[in-house]
Amino acid sequence: MRIATREGLQELLEEDDAISLCSLIVGSDTFGIDTGKIREVLGERELQRVPMSPPFIAGVVPYRGEVLTTVNLRALLGMTEHNGRCCVLVMEDNEGAERFGLVVDAVKGVVTVSRKTLEPNPCTLSARAKWLFDGAYKMQAGLMVQLDPQRLCPTRLSETGLFQQDANGGADASADRR
Amino acid sequence: MRLTGATAYGKWWRANDLTPCSDISGVDELTKEFLAESREGLDRMERCLTELEMRPGDAGLVGEIFRAVHTIKGTTGFLGFDRLEKLAHAGEHLLGALRDGRLEVSSELISGLLWLLDGLRAILALIEETGGEGTRASDEDGELIAALTMLYRNEPGNESSSRAAGSEIALVNSGPASGDSAPAAPIHPAGVTNGPVAAGSDKTIRIDVDVLNRMMNLVGELVLTRNQMLQSGMEAAHFPELARRLDSVTADLRETVMQARMQPVGNLFGKFPRMVRDLARTCGRDVRVEFSGQETGLDKSLLEAIKDPLTHAVRNAVDHGIESPTERVLAGKPAEGCLRLKAFHQSGSVVIEVSDDGAGIPMERVLAKAIERSLVTADEAAGMSEREALQLIFLPGFSTAAAVTTVSGRGVGMDVVRANVEKVGGSVEVESRRGEGTTLRLRVPLTLAIVPSLVVKSGGQYFALPQSALVELVDIPKRESGGAVQRIGSSELYRLRERLLPMVWLDRLLGMAADSPGTQKGHYMAVLEAEGCRYGLVVDDLMSPEEIVVKPLSPVLREIGLFSGATVLGNGTLALIVDVGATAARAGVKPVETEAEVRGHEQAAEDCVSESFLVFEDVERERTALPLDAIERIESVPLSRIEYAGGRPLLQYRGELLALTDRGHVLDSLAARGGEMLATVLICGGAARGGKRSGMVVRQVLDVSDGTPLGAQSAMQGIDGMDLAMVRQRVTMIYREQGSPPWQEVA
Repeated sequence: MRIATREGLQELLEEDDAISLCSLIVGSDTFGIDTGKIREVLGERELQRVPMSPPFIAGVVPYRGEVLTTVNLRALLGMTEHNGRCCVLVMEDNEGAERFGLVVDAVKGVVTVSRKTLEPNPCTLSARAKWLFDGAYKMQAGLMVQLDPQRLCPTRLSETGLFQQDANGGADASADRR
Repeated sequence: MRLTGATAYGKWWRANDLTPCSDISGVDELTKEFLAESREGLDRMERCLTELEMRPGDAGLVGEIFRAVHTIKGTTGFLGFDRLEKLAHAGEHLLGALRDGRLEVSSELISGLLWLLDGLRAILALIEETGGEGTRASDEDGELIAALTMLYRNEPGNESSSRAAGSEIALVNSGPASGDSAPAAPIHPAGVTNGPVAAGSDKTIRIDVDVLNRMMNLVGELVLTRNQMLQSGMEAAHFPELARRLDSVTADLRETVMQARMQPVGNLFGKFPRMVRDLARTCGRDVRVEFSGQETGLDKSLLEAIKDPLTHAVRNAVDHGIESPTERVLAGKPAEGCLRLKAFHQSGSVVIEVSDDGAGIPMERVLAKAIERSLVTADEAAGMSEREALQLIFLPGFSTAAAVTTVSGRGVGMDVVRANVEKVGGSVEVESRRGEGTTLRLRVPLTLAIVPSLVVKSGGQYFALPQSALVELVDIPKRESGGAVQRIGSSELYRLRERLLPMVWLDRLLGMAADSPGTQKGHYMAVLEAEGCRYGLVVDDLMSPEEIVVKPLSPVLREIGLFSGATVLGNGTLALIVDVGATAARAGVKPVETEAEVRGHEQAAEDCVSESFLVFEDVERERTALPLDAIERIESVPLSRIEYAGGRPLLQYRGELLALTDRGHVLDSLAARGGEMLATVLICGGAARGGKRSGMVVRQVLDVSDGTPLGAQSAMQGIDGMDLAMVRQRVTMIYREQGSPPWQEVA
């Protein structure tokens, strides 16, 4: 097992199985998304809520002349809304998939890891988590769970039907916030 | 093969020195261009053919048709479409004879040529779909070519030329079906064309190179301005100037792009002569089509959107509107019916009129049908005015399969026509005079992308309501919200000028109401009308009217079904655009019930002597009023926008020049105060009353309430063209305009 250290970095980058992940913080957990799948990090933005939308939709933001729909990772993970800062990432819209944003608490740096060190999802995960998570990397500070943006796309999330149940809860939460 | 008349294609091919390729796999760029070009030629040919039937002697038309077919023939040879070439050749031969005057225009000949047109179109469609022209041994072509040959031979008095041409035809006629089996006068079944063929042309657009160049220049300027802005920073002295330049460049660019999207309505009209011709034949009518305003520009997407409704309207007019020639003669009208298609601009929208001089809509049958379908009760029907009854044909459910065959009224699918036009923000009106004809008026906005709308606030969020659906705005002050709002069960109704209007609370509907329903708080109500539903949408606050650029929503948000899009407002925040029709449906507002209810109350209002007035102050200390239905809008106009000509104030309003009356010299006193002042102007008249608009400058608007006009015993009667009335137990002067009936009724 190899973890990207400063010395091994160059060597690692040259290997085919190296992957650079953008690390995100949601609550107390760390997640990683392949940097190649991220289009832009917008930083903190004011989100316009969409009434009656599924609970995992954080709202919409203007982005390059378009209206970008954002997915709330906190809601997907079943965490409560928080009033602190948030950060919007824009996902790459390759293969004709729709473009969308992802709302997380904070974005940390980019780490490079070897693909070989990816551990598959444990079989004890809940159905929702199994859909969201794409294995984990063992880091020095703990585990970094990999996310696949394609599975976080709002259309696919609503197609799975896994995240619709707490529709009422989500709506209440939004009302409380105001 | 002759290629003497060097066509645009001929030149092009030679210049590029391309060798013809006979096996084309897939559709390449050249073929695509050929298809687009040919299709345009054929469209032109179609128009010319129908015109030719009316003016058989026009050599120019024959030349045009000949060129269209000739161009196709010439180009296909290079591209290796043998089947197409053979067919075009046969047609060209026939047309050649026609051009040289060896043949005469006859109805059969035109039918034959139209058949040829369809044949060519079918092959073009096949090429577009598959990349190839299909089996060469097709029987249809043989039959068609044979029919064309027959047409050529049947013409008497051309012995010599006929013989000379015979050998050529024999060459062409090598298909399996020989000339003997072909029908002498092929009548092509109506309405088979257009379907798949037209679909391909939707994706491309032809733009004037000048327009494109201008666009490029503007983009260049945009980039330059951006660079300057980036370099100078916010604090730079010339930053405001840069911002202004950016503003003007963007406005220009927007206009140019809009211009590029504009297509003349004539493109759409062009399809109708042929359709009418075919339809008239099947229905046994004699119809002439007249056009005006073909050059009127309309956004391409809108043109596509109104294509079906318009086709439907034209079909209806020929099928149900115009009577058979015998009936017409009996009614003392010329045997030939006339269908008029007219397009023109009117106050920021494009109006397309389809009018016929037929029998009009048989009102009693419409009412009978409506009663039979229990859309209205017999009592209601008896009390209906003609105008109200006409609206019935737009109700969903009025048209049924039975209606198509038994009722010869115009109700066939009119609800669909209306729904389609309303979907793009337009409206449909119908006018019908017994024995004189029917006029259907489609009103569509100039462009889809930019919609005038009113921004409102509800539950702390901004929403945009399209102006086209907005009827009026009602202020519900805190003190009144208890009295004016009435309840039946859990549903709330607002008593607006003695009509009960269902109230829909936007924040509650969207599940964002934080406070309990009983709170006494001031609200605004926007009275909206869409798809036949009229209701009041209650919002917390009214913001500004804004021209918004519509942005689509992602599929997940579209699924909610209440928002038709989103837009970025001037202040940078996002606003969701409320789908007025869907909101009504979600709130349970039923179109039929509402209409019936409104009708009932209209009736009640007519019975009552009292009338609603807008009370305002124009001369100091005097209360003056105008009948509410005479006022179209109340506008706040900056003083700088009011211009003067010959000592009279004028206002440019929606492309019209309004003369302003200023009885109380409000403008002078405002100007004396100095600074940027706003004058309140009542916009009177307008389309709703069929008259010309005028403006009235007032000091302030006071109220809307009911009043009873005082009778003729009043001493003030007739003075200064004013009447007196009691409005809220106070003496109020009522304006009366000369020669305007609604005002006279007050007296």
